[in-house]
Amino acid sequence: MAYTPEMKELIKKVEATRPDRVAMAKNNEHYPALTLKEREEVLNKYHPDYQEDGKRKVKVGPNKGDVFQEEVAELLESQSIIKEDEADLSEPDYETDVLVIGGGGAGTSAALLASDGGADVIMATKLRHGDSNTIMAEGGIQAASQECDSPFYHYIDTIGGGHFTNQPDLVSTLAHDAPLSIAWLERLGMMFNKLEDGRMVVRHFGGSSRKRLHSAGDMTGAEIMRVVRDEARNRSDKITILEFCPAAELILDEDGKCAGAILYNLETQEFYVVKAKAVILATGGFGRLHIKGFACTNHYGATMDGVVMAYRVGVGNKYLYSTQYHPTGVVYPEQNVGLLITEKVRGLGAHVLNIDGEQFCFPLEPRDVESAELICEAMEKGKGVMTPTGRMGLWLDSPMIDEIHGEGTVKKELPAKFIQFARHGIDISKEPMLVYPTLHYQNGGVNINSDAETVVPGLYAAGEVMGGVHGENRLMGNSLQDIITFGRRAGAKAAEYIKGVDLKKPTLDHVAKFEKELTDAGIENPKTAPIILPDYSTDEVSAKRWTKVPIGGE
Amino acid sequence: MSETEKTQAPKMATGDRAILPEGARTIPVYIMGKRYEVPETLTIMKAMEYSGFKFVRGAGCRGGICGACPTVYRKAGDYKIYFGLACQTVVEPDMFLAQIPFYPANRTAYDLEEIGGEADAVHALYPEVFRCVACNNCTKACPMDVDVLAYISAVKQGDMAKAAEISFDCIQCGMCASRCMGEMPQFHIGQLVRRIYGRYIQPQAEHLKKRVEEINSGKYDKMLEDLTSMSKEKLTKLYTEREREPDLAPSGEWMPEDTQYL
Amino acid sequence: MKIKYYPGCTLKYKAKNLEDSAVASLEALGCEVEEIERWNCCGAVYSLAEDDLIHKVAPVRDLIRVKEQGGDKVVTICSMCYNTLARANLMMKEDEEKRDTINRFMDEEIDYAGEVEVLHLLTFLRDEIGWDKVKEKVKKPLTDLKVAPYYGCTLQRPEEVGIEPLGSFELMSGFLEAIGAIPVDFPGAAMCCGSYQVLGNAEAVQDAAGKIISTAQTAGAEALAASCPLCEYNLGKEQDVQIFYFTQLLAAALGLDAEVSRFELNTGNAGELLKRKNFL
Repeated sequence: MAYTPEMKELIKKVEATRPDRVAMAKNNEHYPALTLKEREEVLNKYHPDYQEDGKRKVKVGPNKGDVFQEEVAELLESQSIIKEDEADLSEPDYETDVLVIGGGGAGTSAALLASDGGADVIMATKLRHGDSNTIMAEGGIQAASQECDSPFYHYIDTIGGGHFTNQPDLVSTLAHDAPLSIAWLERLGMMFNKLEDGRMVVRHFGGSSRKRLHSAGDMTGAEIMRVVRDEARNRSDKITILEFCPAAELILDEDGKCAGAILYNLETQEFYVVKAKAVILATGGFGRLHIKGFACTNHYGATMDGVVMAYRVGVGNKYLYSTQYHPTGVVYPEQNVGLLITEKVRGLGAHVLNIDGEQFCFPLEPRDVESAELICEAMEKGKGVMTPTGRMGLWLDSPMIDEIHGEGTVKKELPAKFIQFARHGIDISKEPMLVYPTLHYQNGGVNINSDAETVVPGLYAAGEVMGGVHGENRLMGNSLQDIITFGRRAGAKAAEYIKGVDLKKPTLDHVAKFEKELTDAGIENPKTAPIILPDYSTDEVSAKRWTKVPIGGE
Repeated sequence: MSETEKTQAPKMATGDRAILPEGARTIPVYIMGKRYEVPETLTIMKAMEYSGFKFVRGAGCRGGICGACPTVYRKAGDYKIYFGLACQTVVEPDMFLAQIPFYPANRTAYDLEEIGGEADAVHALYPEVFRCVACNNCTKACPMDVDVLAYISAVKQGDMAKAAEISFDCIQCGMCASRCMGEMPQFHIGQLVRRIYGRYIQPQAEHLKKRVEEINSGKYDKMLEDLTSMSKEKLTKLYTEREREPDLAPSGEWMPEDTQYL
Repeated sequence: MKIKYYPGCTLKYKAKNLEDSAVASLEALGCEVEEIERWNCCGAVYSLAEDDLIHKVAPVRDLIRVKEQGGDKVVTICSMCYNTLARANLMMKEDEEKRDTINRFMDEEIDYAGEVEVLHLLTFLRDEIGWDKVKEKVKKPLTDLKVAPYYGCTLQRPEEVGIEPLGSFELMSGFLEAIGAIPVDFPGAAMCCGSYQVLGNAEAVQDAAGKIISTAQTAGAEALAASCPLCEYNLGKEQDVQIFYFTQLLAAALGLDAEVSRFELNTGNAGELLKRKNFL
C-alpha cells in the first residue's frame, strides 16, 4: 500500500536534500568510498557473514571445529524430534525404491529421472509439491548453448565468480550437463523465451563472459517448477507424492547404508516409516532461519532440514558460513518485503539515505560492504526508518534517477520494479524506496561428488541443500541450473544403485550415537530439529500460550 | 540478541515477525468471522500470524508466485466477493477473510510424447471446456489478473499459442476452478496447453540440439578434465583474460578470437 | 470500410477454410476486417428455456465486446453464431427485465441494451457492399456452375432474426448470381442437416443429409453452398454434390489464390471441381 502520512512526512526530508545531491551527482561528485581498511572494519563489525559476534565453532559431528553462525551451529548441534524408544522401524508404512525428500525443482527432477530409470519413487515434501525456492527464481538458468560459448567458459565464469573456492568436479558437472538440462526442459514443453526461429534468447549477468542466461518471462523458476511438477503428476504409477510430510530423520541399515527415512505428517502428527533403497535429499536452503533477524526471499519451508539430517548420519558440509545477502531488499510495502532491488538502481545514481535524508555511504560499494554500512547506520547510529510493522529500512532515492537522466528513465530502465511498486500505490520515480539487507541464498551445503552421492551409500543430495558448486559466491542463474543438473544426476544414479542393493535391518542408532556425542560435548538443552517451519508468533501471543499440553490431552 | 548488550538498537521486526512500534495504528479484521486487531499495512498472511495463527497449509513462497495462499474476502456492506493472495494483499479495516488452501480439481494424466500438438488432444482430455458459459467468474477470481475466460476461449478455438500466452502467469492456486459453473479445472488445462505449446508449437532450438550432440560425443570431456586439475594461477589468468561477448551482439553472430575452447 | 468481425470457435479451428476465405474476400472487396478482441464462444446453441439466462451471458458478453470496442455493427459468418448472437441481441433489446438481470449479473462489464446490430455476412454483402460492387470485383465468374443455396435451420429461424423470410432464398441466390453462378432452387434448402444429432444418432443425420443432397442433385446442382461448419460436416459425407462454403466460391470468383480457401479441409475434392471448371 501507499506510504502512510507519517512516512510521507519523512520523505519530505529526502526531498529537501535532493537538489544538492542531484547537483553533486551531476558534477560527478560522490560520497567518499571506504578505504580497504575501513571496509574490513565495517564488514567485521556489521556484516553477518564476517562478524565474529554471533559465530562459533560446532562441537560435534563431521564439521566439528568449524565456525558457523549461531543459528546454523545450534541446528547442527540439535537433537532429534523423534523419541527414539518409541519409534518402531519394523513395519514400514511405505516401501519404495527411491525416496526423494523435497518437492522443489531438484527433488522433482530427481524423481523423474529415477522413474525413467525404472525405479518406484516416493516424493515426500514439507508443504505442497512445488512450494520451494525454485518457483521463486525469476532471473534465469545458465547453460552454454550458444556457438560462441562452451562448457569451458561456463566453468571459468563460475569458478572465477566463486573466488576459485568452488569444488572443481561439481563445477565441471554443472557446465557439462547444463545444455542437457535445458534440452530436457525444452522437450518437456517448457516455454523458454525464444526468437522466432527457435533460438534461445540469452542474456548477460554479473560475471558472465558470454550471454548464457536462458529465461521464461520473468518467472523462469516458476515455469520450470510447473513443467516438472506436471510431468511428475503424469507418472502417478511410478511416483507417489506425499505432501505435508517433511522428513524428520534418516534411517540407515546395519551396514550403514541409507535405508529410508521417517516422515512426519504435519496434519495428523503421525510419523511414517518409509523403507527405501536410496534416499535423495532435496530439501533446499536455510533462509527461514532468518540469521540475525534478517528478512529473506525464501519460501516458508527453507529451514535447513536436509543439512541437519545428513549431519546426524555423518555427512558434513561446506561453506555454510557463506550466505548471500543482498544490500537492498524491500521493507515496504509488506507485499514486497524481501523483494530484491537490483544494483542497477544505485548504478543509475540513486543515493542511499538515512531518516534525515542524509547520505552515509558510497552507494556502489561491493555488495557485502554496502550491506554492512546499511546495518551500521540503522542499528549502531539509530538512523533507520521504521515501518508501521516494525521493519527497519533506509531510503533508496530512486526519484533522483529521473532528475539526473531525464524524466521517464526510472520507468524505462526499471520496468518490473516500477510496476511492482505502482501496484501498491507507490511511484518510485517520485517517491523513494525503503530498503534493508535481505538474506537470499545458502551458498554452502552438504558434501557430494559429481554424481550427487554423499559418503553414505544410497544417500544423495541435490539443489540448495548441497554445497561446493558455487564456492563462496554464486553467480546468477547457476542455482536453477544446479537444481536440474544434480537433481537429474541424483535420480539417474539412485535408479542404477538400487538394482544391486540388499537392505539389512533398519536402525536409528546413528541418532542415539549423535545425541550421545552432544551429551559428551557438554551441550545442554540442545535445540530440537529439523525445525520444519519457522514460528512467527509475536512475543505477546507467545506469552499468552500457557498450556504445554495440546487441547484434547496428550 | 539480548536487551542488555544492544541498548541502542531499537526493537524491530525480525524475519517475517511483525511488531507494533510505538504510536503505530491497528485496524480490525475478521479472520473467519472472528475479530482481531492488527497493524495497518500488514499483508493478510502476516496479519494472521500476528494474530497468532500458525500456517501449515496456506503459506508457501510468501512472495506471490507459488499459489499456496489464495484468500477470499468481503468488505463490510459490500456484496462483492474478492480474491487475493494472502501474502500479496494488504489488510483493510473490517475485511472478512478466509483462506482456501486447497481446492479439488479433476486432472487427466497424459503422455506428452503421445498426444501430439493439436487442440483435439486438449479437447479429448478435458471435454469439460465445452461446458464454459462465459460467466467470467474464473477471471474475477484470479489473484494474478489472468484473463482465464480468454484462455479457455482460446482453447475452445483451438488456438494453443494464444491460450499458452494468456495463461502464462497462472500460479495454479485453483481459485478459477473453485468458481467455475462448468466445473472445469482451468489451471490444469492451461498447464497442458503450455506444455503442448513448448513441445510442439514453439520451434525447437537448433543450436541447443547441436550443443547436446557435441557434449554427448565427448567433445568437452578433456577440456573440463583439464580445468578441474588446473592451478588457481592458471585459472585466474584464463578468468581475467576471457573475452566478453558484446552486450549488443545479435544472438549467434558474435564469435570470440580464441575459438579453441568452443 | 472497417468492419467488426466475430469469427466463432469453429472458424478458428476446424473450419479455417470458412474463415480464411471470408476474410480474404472481404479484404479483396475493400473492407478492413477487425476481429473483435477477447471474444468468447457464442454458446453455439441458443437456449430455448425462458429463464435460462446464464446461457445468454456468453453471446451478450460478445456483443458487449463489440460495443466497448466502438462498434455499432458486427459481422459474423457461421450460421450458429449468427443465430445465437442475433437472438441474444434481440432479447437484450426487447426484454427489459431480462436485460436488467443480465446487466446486473455481469457487473464487471458495461451495460448493454442491444445497441449493436448483428449482421450475417450475406446480409452485409448485399446491404453494405452491394451485389453491383461484388460483380464489379469478380475476376473469374463461376459461369454456369449450378449451385444449390443451402440455408439449413438457423439462418431463417426464428423469423425475427432470419436473414430473410422462411421459404425465400433470394439472398443467397442473389449472391450466387453476383459471382456468376446459377442458383438452383431445391426443396432441401431450409431443411436441417441433422445438426448435433451426429453425436448420438448418426443414422438420423445420414437420413437428413441424404435427403438434402438428393433433392439438390435432382434439381441439377453440381455444388452446394453452405455457411455453417456443422452443415458442411454433416452434408459433406454425402459425396454426390460437392459442399462449399459460400465464401470459398466468393474467393474463387474474386480470383484469389486457391490457398485462402484451404480446400483440403473440405470433405471431398472441392478444389478439384473448381479447377476442372477452370475457376481456379
